[in-house]
Amino acid sequence: MEIAFTYARDALRNQEVPVGCIFVYNNEIIAKGRNTVNETRNATRHAEMNCIDDVIAYCDEKSIESKYVFENVSIYVTVEPCIMCAAALYNLKIKQILFGCRNDRFGGQTVFDVSTVLNPVTDVKGGYRADEAMALLKEFYKGTNPSAPPSKVKIKSIDTKLV
Amino acid sequence: MISSKRRKLDSMSTSINNVTEYSKTDECASDCSKVLMHAVLPDDLCEDTPLVEVYVDDISDRKNISKAVVAINSTFPVQELLHLKRVRNGKVLLFPKSICELSEVHQFLMKKGFDTSLLANNIQIVRVAKLPPKIKSQYEKVNKLWPCNFHSNKYLERLVTNSLFDENEMELHRKCMEIAIDVAKHAGNKYNSKKVGAVVFDPKLKSVVAIGYDLTNRNPCKHAAMVAIDNVAVTQNGGAWDKREQVIVNSLNTSGIPKDFEFLRDKYAKTISFGCHVSNDTDDCKAFEDGAYLCTNYYAYVTHEPCVMCAMALVHSRINKVFFGAKSKIGGLCTLCKAQTIKDLNHHYEVFCGLLERECINL
Repeated sequence: MEIAFTYARDALRNQEVPVGCIFVYNNEIIAKGRNTVNETRNATRHAEMNCIDDVIAYCDEKSIESKYVFENVSIYVTVEPCIMCAAALYNLKIKQILFGCRNDRFGGQTVFDVSTVLNPVTDVKGGYRADEAMALLKEFYKGTNPSAPPSKVKIKSIDTKLV
Repeated sequence: MISSKRRKLDSMSTSINNVTEYSKTDECASDCSKVLMHAVLPDDLCEDTPLVEVYVDDISDRKNISKAVVAINSTFPVQELLHLKRVRNGKVLLFPKSICELSEVHQFLMKKGFDTSLLANNIQIVRVAKLPPKIKSQYEKVNKLWPCNFHSNKYLERLVTNSLFDENEMELHRKCMEIAIDVAKHAGNKYNSKKVGAVVFDPKLKSVVAIGYDLTNRNPCKHAAMVAIDNVAVTQNGGAWDKREQVIVNSLNTSGIPKDFEFLRDKYAKTISFGCHVSNDTDDCKAFEDGAYLCTNYYAYVTHEPCVMCAMALVHSRINKVFFGAKSKIGGLCTLCKAQTIKDLNHHYEVFCGLLERECINL
């Protein structure tokens, strides 16, 4: 998750929504990334979608079946995947997802529970280092000083019990 | 005493039975088979207005109707039922049944300071509209149960009665879907992929901004709508999957349309142009002023109902309207859910289903 956070911080430095993500397959990080929505002028280029493309490239290079790889991938992402990403990841039959804070705006569980319509096999857990992840989001949306002490940032909707 | 109570309960149950004739209609607008193209509406527009049971009592002396209404409104206004009239045929609407037992109604009113001698103590339970009706057909049903206020929204009425577009506009929608179908066929043959096509259209310019087609045999996320969204990004000097230089044809930027699909321009030259506004300014703020921000103000035409991922991608992209031909069992606009109606989202678009449905199904 720490690596995912370095990508989230990198997003913030580049004026992107600070979400970072890594895909782990057989104890190896095969994809890592962050939001590139502003850079690409494409509102669907979330960290998870970028990582999916990385996995395709990884599989092409190694001439292995991507379907099998996706089904054995664990994802570490700083923010709950949005409805779009949740649907994409459930369709790929991703093994498990561990996310940081909830996504109050677009969350694939919080705003609309995608699992109620797609019957996923994916195991999803949230709440790991949620405070830090939420603090990054708040910095982005409020444009607050990144060096402000995190204790002063009000954090809501964290469910640490989930882990 | 007991027998009189019994009689009251009986009359109560008959009045309930009478209103059960008010049955739910099956004609939900999301049933795409009946008409050619129509709006996919939020559930609260295709369903009947929900009902709630309330206590109603006769006013003992008809001369006191206005006095009783003033008294009940001041001692016991019912905030959540302000859309209902308080009186009907000498009967006054008291309050929701959930507040107390039938036998305690008058006691309850007395405690509130209401003069119960105005009432005949012939309390009945009536089902009435729980919420204000949104459209005329809902209003007509609930107004029969108990008189109800209604403010008609002309735009909504046109949506629900399928009269939003005139024949010229419909012709344009059909043309755009024809292009999407051509895209599906051409791409399907060329890339040996599923025949699904998408067109992003600027209704102001009457011009095709970008196209997309299924490439899931290469990348499971490359659904037609996702590819089209990325091609719109290409026109704004972005794009993740395909990076192409701006191509200017007839003073329009056609970089959202890959070269292999240029034949479409000749085929549809008479009615529709191809390309979007050319933004000379690379400055983002200027680009926003041009209106070229993601898919804002654009329409999407997709041969098949977009899936949940694509439906949400279109929300993120702030598309204005989505038209699709054939329903899909993994569809996220009509079949599995209606992503465009999720209340907590920051953007909502309108959805129309069944445009050239037959041709799309036959792809």
